[in-house]
Amino acid sequence: MRTGDFKQTYGELVTLIDSPPIWLWSVVLVAALIVAPHVLNSYALSFLMIILITVVGALGLNILTGYTGLISLGHVGFLVTGAYAYAILVSKYQMHPLIGFLGAGVVPALASLVVGAPSLRLKGLYLAITTLAFSFIINTLILEARWLTNGARGISVQRPEIFGISFDGDAAFTYLCLGFAVLALFATLNIRRSRVGRAFVAIRDNDTAARVMGINLHAYKLFAFVTSAFITGLSGALYGIYLSFVSVEGFPFLLSIEALAILIVGGLGSALGAVLGTILIVLLPEATRMVFSLFSAQMDAMFTTGAQELKSMLYGLVIILFLRFQPRGLVGAWHDIRRMWVNWPLRY
Amino acid sequence: MMKYLATASLLLASAHLATGAALAADQGITDTEIVIGDVEPLTGPPALLGVAASIGHKIAIAEANNAGGINGRKIKYVLEDDGYVTARTIQGVKKVIDVDKAFAMLGISGSGQSIAVMPVLEKAGIPTVIDVAPVKFLWEPPRKNVFVVGQSYEEGIIHLVNYLADKNPGKKWGLITQDDDYGITVRDGFDTVVKAKKLNVVYSGNYKKGQQDFSSDMLQLKESGAEVFLAGGIIGENIAMMKELEKLNIKPVVGIFWPGRVEPVLKLMGPAGDGLYAVDYVEPFAGPAGKAFLEKAKGLLSEAEMKGINRYSMTGYAAAKVLISAIERCGKQPTWVCTIAELEKTKNVETGIMAPINFGTGVRFSNQKLQIMQSDFSTLSFKPVN
Amino acid sequence: MQYFTQLLISGLAIGAIYGLIAMGFAVIYKSTGLVNFAQGEMTMITAYIAWTISTTVSGNVFIVAIGAIIAAVVLGLVIERVVMRPMLGEPVFATVMVTIGLAVILRSSINFIWDAYPHGLDVGFGRTIVRIGTIGVRTGQIAVIVTLLVLLAAIWAFFRYSKVGVAMRAVAADDRTALLMGISATRVHALAWAASSVIAGIGGVFFALSYDLSPAMFQLGLKAFPATILGGLDAVLGSGLGGLLIGITENLAGGYIGSGMKEVAGFVMIIVVLMIRPFGIFGERDIERV
Repeated sequence: MRTGDFKQTYGELVTLIDSPPIWLWSVVLVAALIVAPHVLNSYALSFLMIILITVVGALGLNILTGYTGLISLGHVGFLVTGAYAYAILVSKYQMHPLIGFLGAGVVPALASLVVGAPSLRLKGLYLAITTLAFSFIINTLILEARWLTNGARGISVQRPEIFGISFDGDAAFTYLCLGFAVLALFATLNIRRSRVGRAFVAIRDNDTAARVMGINLHAYKLFAFVTSAFITGLSGALYGIYLSFVSVEGFPFLLSIEALAILIVGGLGSALGAVLGTILIVLLPEATRMVFSLFSAQMDAMFTTGAQELKSMLYGLVIILFLRFQPRGLVGAWHDIRRMWVNWPLRY
Repeated sequence: MMKYLATASLLLASAHLATGAALAADQGITDTEIVIGDVEPLTGPPALLGVAASIGHKIAIAEANNAGGINGRKIKYVLEDDGYVTARTIQGVKKVIDVDKAFAMLGISGSGQSIAVMPVLEKAGIPTVIDVAPVKFLWEPPRKNVFVVGQSYEEGIIHLVNYLADKNPGKKWGLITQDDDYGITVRDGFDTVVKAKKLNVVYSGNYKKGQQDFSSDMLQLKESGAEVFLAGGIIGENIAMMKELEKLNIKPVVGIFWPGRVEPVLKLMGPAGDGLYAVDYVEPFAGPAGKAFLEKAKGLLSEAEMKGINRYSMTGYAAAKVLISAIERCGKQPTWVCTIAELEKTKNVETGIMAPINFGTGVRFSNQKLQIMQSDFSTLSFKPVN
Repeated sequence: MQYFTQLLISGLAIGAIYGLIAMGFAVIYKSTGLVNFAQGEMTMITAYIAWTISTTVSGNVFIVAIGAIIAAVVLGLVIERVVMRPMLGEPVFATVMVTIGLAVILRSSINFIWDAYPHGLDVGFGRTIVRIGTIGVRTGQIAVIVTLLVLLAAIWAFFRYSKVGVAMRAVAADDRTALLMGISATRVHALAWAASSVIAGIGGVFFALSYDLSPAMFQLGLKAFPATILGGLDAVLGSGLGGLLIGITENLAGGYIGSGMKEVAGFVMIIVVLMIRPFGIFGERDIERV
């Protein structure tokens, strides 16, 4: 009798969805996401929007850091170039929003060729610091190029209208974000199971070995940078539209750190991890706020002073405790739960 | 799919309109309570202004509540933290409107943040009085439900530079600004006067937000020979600049702007901070109006809150006062429509800490009168100059 | 020339502060293989504690200095024991992430315990201005440069001659072999965290002395980290010198090119230097065996 999970062909190994229940749950999830904007109030909806926008960015970073193992501390640089590319094309030159989105992908991708160049020579944290440096330099360039970017004044961005469909309402804009999130998810999943994705992972696991196996390190590392920047740039454009106002201020360095936090908390090198990590990191402040408001009645007087900081402290503490007990991230936790489900009451 | 999306968004839009109109009559108002919402940075370094502003709102609200509330309804103040992150400001405002069902709003956070929440406020139609960061974008073009108490950064700078230029004719000028929207407005105001009065500008610097060491910038200022200097920093930056000037042994006439006009700064600048010119539209704490304000606050606040008071508490107090009096004038059953109409009719509302506040038909900006003040190191305070 | 000298001295003074904090990064990296993203925050806490001592206990410079050093040691040890040691053996990524969480907590504790207003550290020393010709320097700035140089020498001697220093180098080079040789890795880690906290804390206190204390002070960490990379992540002495280099570059760029370039100049230099020497100026080249 056959037990367990069997694969008989290579095709089965790389299929995206390998079992009916996963099909079922995916459909349920998509249906829920389509209904959600009509059920949620605009506050809850704003979380959904932020999650979807952030998922796109996290998936972008995941290609670079998760799959290829190149750490980037400067991903906010791609986010901000994407947002500016969109804002300049659409708000300033009145181009079609789709061209704007294309630009939001292509411009950061081109920039990434420059940013990625040091990766051919540098490794690990040394590479991380050059990406960090680039993100600061990009900010300075944006502020200096006043004729193009309005400098520190920033650019106002309207919600787009594509082929007669207005995405002005929150629900409609959520669909737009959902569309991009789904596209980004399929793109990364497909990259992962293709020849390119396997090359990325080989580079991550051992670049010398990858090279010996005939993988062109230079080409693939740059390719990882380009795809990652493209997807991240799209996320930047969406974020800019959400903020309705694109300026360097709106994209603080903290976002780079937060993006890494998402990947690590979710589970490095997994698209599912990027999604789960995003949900956790985006909702965590809200969760700590809710825990906090349980006690707020008594502490009302304290509230206007330093006590607000307790909330941020709680946020930091949750991250620490989480990593202490689940260092492999949410994906690790998910695998444990699944195994427990199958093997119970045995441990193995 | 496209068709579906189109109809869906249409349906949704109409649903929003319907609920919006229904809610407008009485959201955030019960027989005993009325909810006023606010979003401010309460954590991190910008808490300096966010906490102070919220304290100002609290004073006005406590004052009204002690007097029996607005026509018998007590005011409930809902305050959210945004940590000075724009995305969180948007979420905070949505929460205050959708979850806490606020009747009106005060605040809101910094200039970039309030600009970003404008579409949300406009769409919701909630009566709003902005006091923290008055920038032109907030009232040009005027939005039906958004009112701004204060004076624009640009006008403030023009007033200050005009004053200094008249006082120091024919002198060489220096300027340094921050590389963000705040800095740009300061620069714009400065340039207006430079053009009008043909000032001789010998140094024009631009520092990156967060810069802490100003040694090379101030050295350049010294080399340029500037005799009048407009320090466009906020708090820490101005302190660092004054100390550098002291070290370099030069003492130009220095002007600072109101976001940096908080008293603890003077102590940190030391003797170097004596005689700084500043511009503001609220009264200094050292004057009789300021003292009366502190006296009033003492009865209404905790000790910890008293420590957080600065000029932003005054602007916050004034804005809350304007809003409360408008709701009050609406009588027994205040609505959004009525509150907005009454805000528009605001005429000579006295706050004791700034000139009487006025709005008008189509006027959403109170255009406060400015005054010049000068710092005094011996008493660590600002005093009005005539 | 005077202009240049003044720029150079100011650059050295701020660079020495970067250098001290950068050494803090390097000490931890060298002995534990981690980057401590909470370094700037730890520096800030030490400076705030020093300020509290100066306002509540005594403003005497020696009492404040000793108090701050003790506080920094305790801070480093507590963090190592409570936060970092449980993460021993876990993936490096997760452990580094823990320091980011720690940074959030420490940053928030400033407004929670103290407040958001800026404060000045007054210990009756460091604020006096010494004038040589037309060049002005504060005594605190001279002191920080001297302190950095003394510490550099002391640390060099420590790693070269003392038994503990050799043990730390051993753990850094090959922790398993070191363990077999009877060196306690946890003790070395604890020592590294305490030492890093003290060295960076000294930088923080000097910063508070020359500038002021504010909740934005943690950003010093962000300025010092590039200095560590420039010098070489595993080079403690190199990091100190890297700080000086960045301080000077920034100030010269600010003085000669324009103030907008000041904050970027350091980063541009890092990219250029790393393209030539991928492991920092003084870093050890990682030789891979296949």
